[in-house]
Amino acid sequence: MKSSRASLSSILQPVFSLRRPAFCSAAPPKPQTPLHLRPPAFRAALSDLQRWQAWAKTQASSVGSTFSALDGGPDSSLLLRELNWLVEDAVEHPALLSTENKVTAEVAIRAQLEEMYELWRQRIEERRPFQYVVGCEHWRDLILSVEEGVLIPRPETETIVDLVDHAVKADEELREGLWADLGTGSGALGIAVARILGGGGRVLAVDLSPVAAAVARYNVERYCLEARVSVRVGSWFDPLKDVEGELNGVVSNPPYIPSKNIHSLQAEVSRHEPILALDGGADGMDDLIHLCHGAASMLKPRGFFAFETNGEIQSKLVLDYIQNEMEGSFCRLEIVSDFAGIQRFVTGYKA
Amino acid sequence: MAHSILRSFLRFPSGGVCNFTKPACAYSRWHGSFYFYRRANNSRISDGVTSFHFVKEASIRGYPSGAIVACSRNYNSNVTSTFETVDGSEYLAMTDEKLMSQCEMDTFKVSGPGGQHRNKRESAVRLKHLPTGITAQASEDRSQHKNRAAALSRLRKLLALRVRNTIDLETYVPPPELVQILPTKSTIRLDKGSQIGPNNPKFALGMQALIDLIFAVGGSVSDAAKKLGLSTGALSRLILSDDSLRQAVNEFRVEKGMKPLK
Repeated sequence: MKSSRASLSSILQPVFSLRRPAFCSAAPPKPQTPLHLRPPAFRAALSDLQRWQAWAKTQASSVGSTFSALDGGPDSSLLLRELNWLVEDAVEHPALLSTENKVTAEVAIRAQLEEMYELWRQRIEERRPFQYVVGCEHWRDLILSVEEGVLIPRPETETIVDLVDHAVKADEELREGLWADLGTGSGALGIAVARILGGGGRVLAVDLSPVAAAVARYNVERYCLEARVSVRVGSWFDPLKDVEGELNGVVSNPPYIPSKNIHSLQAEVSRHEPILALDGGADGMDDLIHLCHGAASMLKPRGFFAFETNGEIQSKLVLDYIQNEMEGSFCRLEIVSDFAGIQRFVTGYKA
Repeated sequence: MAHSILRSFLRFPSGGVCNFTKPACAYSRWHGSFYFYRRANNSRISDGVTSFHFVKEASIRGYPSGAIVACSRNYNSNVTSTFETVDGSEYLAMTDEKLMSQCEMDTFKVSGPGGQHRNKRESAVRLKHLPTGITAQASEDRSQHKNRAAALSRLRKLLALRVRNTIDLETYVPPPELVQILPTKSTIRLDKGSQIGPNNPKFALGMQALIDLIFAVGGSVSDAAKKLGLSTGALSRLILSDDSLRQAVNEFRVEKGMKPLK
């Protein structure tokens, strides 16, 4: 009855039913396609593209060390490297650009020439992160789609995947079963952990942001992991009530920057990245503490956890908290340094 | 094998000092954890001849792969204080993880809080192999992870080229890893399995054994060819098939007053 009425109304008012806002707001946001995956549908004269490149180089060079002096942002040399990567992603045959002789030749690009100017202007003038400009980040052996509203995965976080690898090699039972990535963002950790676990493991990737969840799903599909990584929308462990006490492992790169430090971050981060993924409250510990308690009830005995922290003091505070306030919940606690020697991660096992 | 003496003909810049201008950077040992190798059989240590020798100094060169080699002057103390000295070929036999644990990784990062604070696509990686002081770097990829893998595979090649094992010519039998890289027409090849080429990761081990032999016979390709059941021409072609192998052999030949192979 209900369905026949719906179909009748759609016949009578096809335009209205398409526009019905209720449907639109319920539909998940559609992720943007990263530049490198767009079809090379546009043509530009080689000389015009070379002119663009020369302009972009001048822009990058004029930055000098201004940004790095201001807020630790990129200097010219880094921007010039990014420009090469932009060319790599946007131009079908990037090598053509360095040829001098074929002035009349045309090149295929994945964005219109005007957009290329606009993208580089955004990079320099607005300090838009390069990863948002090209819509992707190379992280470990993955190329992950990212866009505004989704935290750009950091190289430091790659280490968590190695920590999981060590943990499952030491105890193969951890490999088979459920893992969770809390605050998955682009899905980076969830996807990489699923690939480490292999066919017997499943990852539940959780994010509060519908935009992040949509991008994470897009990335999961790109790596054909739909069967092994499920993305759920919600706050931390809330969407995981059905698997309480069943998790083999929990990983997270939660927001951990103290609120007072947010405004002084480099412009790429403070102006463009989602504050939801960065601000960890007054001392940056709010979410980490919440995660520790959640992990204690969600993990199986001998289950593994690895959390990223703001580093050094915060790692020690998290460790102290677990040892003093959550006595007996976890064992084999460890602080692990990142590749820059900063004590970055806290790991341990459910008692 | 029991008394194989580890000798290294590591070359380094005439200043003797690492030519890298060290950027303002923090570096750390892999994962903050550090493995020490304690092997059951310590005979090599107790025979008292496990020292490295720096024979000749040469300038840092760019390799075809883009790798750069440099050596630190004080690594001898590293060897005795933190690492059990191992045979050169054993480095190459190590898993990536083990070899990595002997390395310092330097990511060219400026010091600072890192993590969520930063947006910096600085993905270059430099590995310094502490027992030998050999460094390899990679920066061409956008992912640090891939650069680390590339640097590690370069390090393996450099270890093969730079760390020498002495061999006893009287009792010499070409090791299997060397036999594998020989052309199938070699008379010492019992199985006629296919020849491993320069692009195979296993080539480095064979290459190391081949350079060891060429050093032992004083650079003579014809003498080495006899030991390998090959014609001089066939061995020359093998040596010329890989740029870094050719370079290593030719440097040694020039040093001995011989003509370089062409």
